[in-house]
Amino acid sequence: MRVKSFFRSIGKVIVTKEIFENKILLRLLYKYFLIGMLIRLIFLPFFFQRDLLSTYQRAAQTVFGGNLGSDFQQFIMNSIHSIYLFIIKSILPIVGEYSEILLQTDTWSSWVNFISSENVFIVISLFKVLYLIFDILCMFLVMRLLFDDEPEKRLKVFKLWVLNPFVIFILYIFARHDIIGIFLTLVALLLAKYKRKYWAIFVLALAVAARFFPIMILPILIFYLADKKKDYIILFPVGISGLIAVEIFSYFYFGRSVIFSLINTQHFDYILSSKLELVIHDRIFIFIAVYIIIILSYLHIRKKTFDIFLNYCAIIYLMYVSICYFHPQYLLWVVPFLILIFVRKKVLYRYHWVQFALLMVILIYWGDLVTKFVLAPIDPKYFIYLTGPIPIINRFYSPSKFVNIFRSVFTGVSLWMIYLIYKENKNILSGNSIVDINNNLIEK
Amino acid sequence: MKIFKLILIFLLLFSIVIIGTGCNGIFFIPGASYGYYIWEDSEDNIHIAWSIDRKESVFSGWIATDGKINEYNLLGWEENDSIKLSEDSCRIEFNASLNENDYSDEIILVIDNYSYLEFDLRINDGYDLSRINIGEFINNPNNNIFRIEKDYFSQLDKKPWYREHPLSGLFYKLSANIIYSLAYIFLLGVIIIEILRITVIRRSSRYWWYIVISYCVLILIDSGVYLFLTKLSFI
Repeated sequence: MRVKSFFRSIGKVIVTKEIFENKILLRLLYKYFLIGMLIRLIFLPFFFQRDLLSTYQRAAQTVFGGNLGSDFQQFIMNSIHSIYLFIIKSILPIVGEYSEILLQTDTWSSWVNFISSENVFIVISLFKVLYLIFDILCMFLVMRLLFDDEPEKRLKVFKLWVLNPFVIFILYIFARHDIIGIFLTLVALLLAKYKRKYWAIFVLALAVAARFFPIMILPILIFYLADKKKDYIILFPVGISGLIAVEIFSYFYFGRSVIFSLINTQHFDYILSSKLELVIHDRIFIFIAVYIIIILSYLHIRKKTFDIFLNYCAIIYLMYVSICYFHPQYLLWVVPFLILIFVRKKVLYRYHWVQFALLMVILIYWGDLVTKFVLAPIDPKYFIYLTGPIPIINRFYSPSKFVNIFRSVFTGVSLWMIYLIYKENKNILSGNSIVDINNNLIEK
Repeated sequence: MKIFKLILIFLLLFSIVIIGTGCNGIFFIPGASYGYYIWEDSEDNIHIAWSIDRKESVFSGWIATDGKINEYNLLGWEENDSIKLSEDSCRIEFNASLNENDYSDEIILVIDNYSYLEFDLRINDGYDLSRINIGEFINNPNNNIFRIEKDYFSQLDKKPWYREHPLSGLFYKLSANIIYSLAYIFLLGVIIIEILRITVIRRSSRYWWYIVISYCVLILIDSGVYLFLTKLSFI
């Protein structure tokens, strides 16, 4: 009996009490989980984008070469990968056999050697299992963000995450590590939901230190959590404490500044990529201007509810991918916030699929590396010499114009989604459950 | 359903465009694909075509045989491109360039009484054997000057499906670590059975029968995969 009650309480912790006690919902959750796992496992051993190898190559420099600063800009992320690599190489000698390839400095030859190796499927699977773990944690966390006492809606959130095309593509085909940052962000949001303000900001600070992108929602999280003036004074320094800690550590340990190094990378320029040229040196960085408008708009909301706060997070990340240069994995940042909105506003989910379809075309931007080379572990020679999408498009039309037409459609769709979210915010604030009316209209 | 129909129409149109722009003995897209493509048609004529992704390049070389080149036809040939048949009609030399608007050139040889063909094919006066496709994509020669026998193409047609790229690459790697492959397939199978169990089988009166049968089928599939991966060669 004790064992049974122990497992029951574990079950309640994992899937929430309401779902655990409802047999139908529990069975549905299990079904979605299994389908999600099946899809994930199908993709797990076969595909990856070159960056996965780079990430583990930097971790290998730490594990096999003892170089702690192999990726000082992403020190926490590199530490997580290094610890994981150390564990799997200790358990499975097959990973240790890859040390030579992982330590190769020539990126092309290390990639060719890696994809040509006989055990590449096992190693890719093992590399991605780390992301699978965080993905599973996220799927059970994200459904807790909203809809207390509404287990059906929570189940919908779970389903939307488990079967989300962006999650599956970015983690299991593209194989990027953004899920770790998203996990930390979700933990911070859950703490914020229960008004554990200092812990929430502290965990978000950790997320910022791990992956820079959660800094975008830091200001509105502070506005959401702060009740008094004193809170602003405390929460802001705590919010950037993670970054400052990494900066201080990096400065004294490696003798280099992380912040200035990050600011001078091309990734930071992505934020500044959309601009209005005025005269001489005068220009306006559109995202920064729009971001300030979003922040001020949130600041002026009197009743800062948690769902409005989450909607604003979605708006910020959607705005970023709408008007700035982005990498495909950046789209994962918006997914946790969007799926919560999909439950209330179905029409947005259709646009989400349109976004995904458009992303598949926009991928051509980055050439062979993110298109045919993703499939290369299956048969390296075949996919290396296969004609890529750019020469095929170039045969008929300018590839850059072609892709940018789709990019513009993507921007249009994303901006429209922002408008719909903004409209929903107004409805929530006015106290009308227009969301339900909207859904009824769609059904009609 | 509408989306499905649209996808179908798109695929159909895409196929028409691809067929109309260069689907021959070997699939390649003139002006996009890069390399030499050699194949034999149903009338035993030998085709040697080349293409590049709209960059200025020179394709040159020679083809020799112990038979007699009775006739040659040229496709996509321009004024500056040259071809010369030797006096004894057993060797042909060519030099042709491609550029942004010249997508592809092709020589069709009608050869009698030959037992082999010898090729020396260069791109920009250098060798890139990975770009020479004989009879099928990435079926490359081993030497700069290479020879193929008369029945080479018919032998190639007899190649089993599991030795065709990219499947051959996939099966080869799966066979390299058989325990992992079997465990992987078994795990996928267990998940599928679990999905069936909680959806279809759950309400059945023969619940346990179906479960036992499902696992027996899975073990059979795993055994079949084991035999397939261990008994066949994929290279």
